[in-house]
Amino acid sequence: MAERSQQVLLAEGLARQGRIAPAVTACYQALRADERDPLVHCLLGGLMLEEGFCEQAATSAARAIEIDPGCAAAYFVLGLAYDRMGGMWDRSVLVWQELAEVVPDLATAYVQLGEALCAASFADEAVAAWRRALEIDPREPRAMYHLAVAALKREGMATALPGFRKAGELDPSQDEFFFVLTGYDVDGLPTLGMTEIEADRTSRLRAAHAFAANDELFKAAELIRLVLGEHADDIEAISLMAHLYLKQESVNEAMACALRALTLSTHTPTAVYALGVAFARRPALADHAAKLFSVLTTMAAGHAMPHVLHAESLLALQRYSNAGEAYRAALALDPGCVRALFGQAAVALTVGDHTGAEWAIRRAAYHDIRRRGYFWGPYDAAAGGREQ
Amino acid sequence: MNTDAEARTRAGRSESGAPGVARRNPRFPVGVNYYPLDSEVSTWEEWYAGDVDGDFAAFAAAGLTLVRIFISWKLFEPQVDRYSEQATDRLRTIVDAAAIHGLRLMVCFFADDRHADLLDVVWARKRDPRTDSYLIERETALVRHIVERHRADRAVFAWELANEVFCCGFESAQALESWAATLREAVRELDPDRPVMLSFDPETLFHAARVDGRGALRECEIAVSHPTMRYRTYAAEGPIASGSSTYLDSFLLHMGPSGKPVLFDDVGSHMLEDSHAEEAAALRCALYSGLMNGASGALVRRWRDMATDRREPYFVDPYEAVVGVCDSGGEPKAAMRELDAFTRMAAHLDLQTYELTAERMAVVVPAERRAALPALASLYTPRACLESYIRAKEAHVPVTMTHEDDEFDPFAVLIVPSVTDLSDTTWERLGAWVQVGGSLVFSYGGGEFGPAAREIFGVDFLGHGGARTRATCRIAQQNLLGALEPFEVAAEVPHFALLGAGTSTVIATDSAGSPLVTLNRYGQGRAICVAAPFERVLGQAGLRTPPAEVQTFLRILYGAVADVAGCGPLVDCDAPGVEVALFAGEEDDVLLLLNHMGEPVTASVGFVVSVASVTDIRGGAPVAVGGRSFSVPLGQYGVMALRLCYA
Repeated sequence: MAERSQQVLLAEGLARQGRIAPAVTACYQALRADERDPLVHCLLGGLMLEEGFCEQAATSAARAIEIDPGCAAAYFVLGLAYDRMGGMWDRSVLVWQELAEVVPDLATAYVQLGEALCAASFADEAVAAWRRALEIDPREPRAMYHLAVAALKREGMATALPGFRKAGELDPSQDEFFFVLTGYDVDGLPTLGMTEIEADRTSRLRAAHAFAANDELFKAAELIRLVLGEHADDIEAISLMAHLYLKQESVNEAMACALRALTLSTHTPTAVYALGVAFARRPALADHAAKLFSVLTTMAAGHAMPHVLHAESLLALQRYSNAGEAYRAALALDPGCVRALFGQAAVALTVGDHTGAEWAIRRAAYHDIRRRGYFWGPYDAAAGGREQ
Repeated sequence: MNTDAEARTRAGRSESGAPGVARRNPRFPVGVNYYPLDSEVSTWEEWYAGDVDGDFAAFAAAGLTLVRIFISWKLFEPQVDRYSEQATDRLRTIVDAAAIHGLRLMVCFFADDRHADLLDVVWARKRDPRTDSYLIERETALVRHIVERHRADRAVFAWELANEVFCCGFESAQALESWAATLREAVRELDPDRPVMLSFDPETLFHAARVDGRGALRECEIAVSHPTMRYRTYAAEGPIASGSSTYLDSFLLHMGPSGKPVLFDDVGSHMLEDSHAEEAAALRCALYSGLMNGASGALVRRWRDMATDRREPYFVDPYEAVVGVCDSGGEPKAAMRELDAFTRMAAHLDLQTYELTAERMAVVVPAERRAALPALASLYTPRACLESYIRAKEAHVPVTMTHEDDEFDPFAVLIVPSVTDLSDTTWERLGAWVQVGGSLVFSYGGGEFGPAAREIFGVDFLGHGGARTRATCRIAQQNLLGALEPFEVAAEVPHFALLGAGTSTVIATDSAGSPLVTLNRYGQGRAICVAAPFERVLGQAGLRTPPAEVQTFLRILYGAVADVAGCGPLVDCDAPGVEVALFAGEEDDVLLLLNHMGEPVTASVGFVVSVASVTDIRGGAPVAVGGRSFSVPLGQYGVMALRLCYA
């Protein structure tokens, strides 16, 4: 296959910069040079979808698939366009099934397939699709959210809550929030080898946070033990330890660490967070969790996550109206908070507002896809495959 | 659109419950599309053999006046130039039944109905009925055949040449105009007086087929307005009764041709996926919107749901009409109760005595709406215009839509939202219009600022400031343009014009001090420039949450400009989501309120003169007010129609 032309590269560059209008113009120029370039049709579809012009997106994506039936990114665009246009679920189901055939190990294809099946009232098939997504990628939060919502519809909140909680844990935003509370910019921290870390508290703590953020929990725990060996009352270290225990499902140990940190200082948001999360995992302690998360909303004002955690603890207490308010507070701070949108859907379902729930889920899916850069992965794979 | 005296007399047979009050409003007829099939598995012949009397009796009992029926070419002309006597007799039966029940028929000749195969003439051999000269000849003959037989029937209200689905098949405006002129001429030869219509909405037709139908509509006596499913998804994504969606019907009504009566067509839900409560809410909002925005009548989408295959949910083609006010068994749904309540209310509003306040503010639809791709302005523009329209409605300013090539003189305030490019001629016309006292609100949508624009706004254009991820407003001059509030929110702002203040007054700036809103006195008028396309920001929100601060900013700005220009709201209302319409009479007025929100609200309304009492328009005891304001509780998507007596 031919390499990408200058016009295509220009269009891609503009698209990656978010300059949609000139990128669309560049795509048209590229198509004038080669109308049968599936990548350009696919890119054009992606750009149209980005602006919410679903009909145009569907037309371009369908053309890309017609030219190259293996173009995964085009299936993505076409499926999402159909989903957004509404009332086209049978076509949408077909597209997602085809994508699952083209890229069998793509969990997102099954998540989307489940959504389309659910919208088409094939509830059992939808659940099977989400389960398949979790088989492919056990850390796929949206599939877990959907399973929780499905459980809520069928069996009620008591069955659904563990699912929401599990989905929340898979959702990267909660860990991100913990590290925001710690004050460490974990994205900017290098993960060093154990021998490269200097033997002082600051270096060890920084490295421990970096390891924790990268899910290297044992290395992080080892460094924390070294810090605590020298400073037994180090609040930062104890709080991080609580977080590490939580990550390993050791709730009692996490509780003990968090309580120890709070004994040393009640003004420790990370400890309040860790204790709240630990309490939330014990259904009988949901009331305590709600109180702690309520405090955390004040300690970490301006962040959506404490409101989400607070709302989830209120859900456990069956205080749905209050949970709805907490979710609204979270969404006011972060309108794209996927977890809050799924929570809002759950609250809507408790009052029989199925349309409201469906709308919240659609918005959650949109934001989830957007934050994970749905388009460029498959697109780059297709472009890379062409150049090899 | 006025039905005749005979129909009015007959209409009077159905009473509202209040003695002596007709249940039909002759100046706002309400009707229904009478589709030829009620079930997906039945054939058109089966329907044709049925008795329409029962349905027509039900229509009349519901207070309906108009019924649109569809001609089947396939059945009328099974062989070339041989018309079916059975079909001809059947049409006679239908027309007679309509007359008996006091109904008026809109006879649609060429409707592309996918279920009934109305146009599927076997001998046509798949030729295009829109462009094939022989088929057009046959179409003309069919039209003559029918018009000749029914031109003396008073039950026929109008001849409708084609519906929108049929018109979407045209590939150019010229072909559509030529076809419509030929068929219209065929009608006119035999029936010179009765209205001839084309039942497409020019905006939705353009969106679907990129064909400008305005030329073809010029010769029609009545226009129609309706949001198609496809257009609703494009312009107002989301549940049918939320966000921008409930304003869409009236927006399209105003987008239609001015100076003609416009029928509010295809009112109601499109999808069986919506719950009955949502269908009812959507129907209520649409019907009241139509009345409050000067429609000449309303036609409900369908009487009965169509019984479909056991596919769940039914796949809804943008052109399929499957949702009615009764279920497929004929049992009334919640929407039916809404229709009934509306016709009862509307019957009490004498549109000869009470007149809707004229709009002196207009949103200008730029000509770039009709530009071809890759110019995305054609796709951005309707959304930006809709947002602009909604914000003006939220400011309770009577507002309408106008097009770049229309006359500006009837208006005191023009809003040109998020525009990339206006022609030099338009800038000159706008300049002249502002010079003589007009107030112009323009927001920058990218592109260049021409010399005329710089002169009108009194600013220097220093260049394009690029896209931004935050919208920021700092107030530089308090209360010159209303009580604008500073804000800073996350928003994808695609353009920002870097302006030098020049001779204008800077009202607000961005965070870096660059002018955001400027005000310039130009001649006797005012020119306000907003450096960012905020209407587009809102219109492009889609599945994202539109920033409320930007919505509030535009609402306050529009309201303030209208106030200064002397065309502000006649009725103050503290609830932005409540639409207000005042019908002015000689001795008293009628106030209509419509809550566009999904939550109940208590709206406080204020007047310049003291109100002695208010009465529900349908009757009942007056409630003493004795002041300039009072509060009205409205449920979610609730409505209220009140007669106001002044002190």
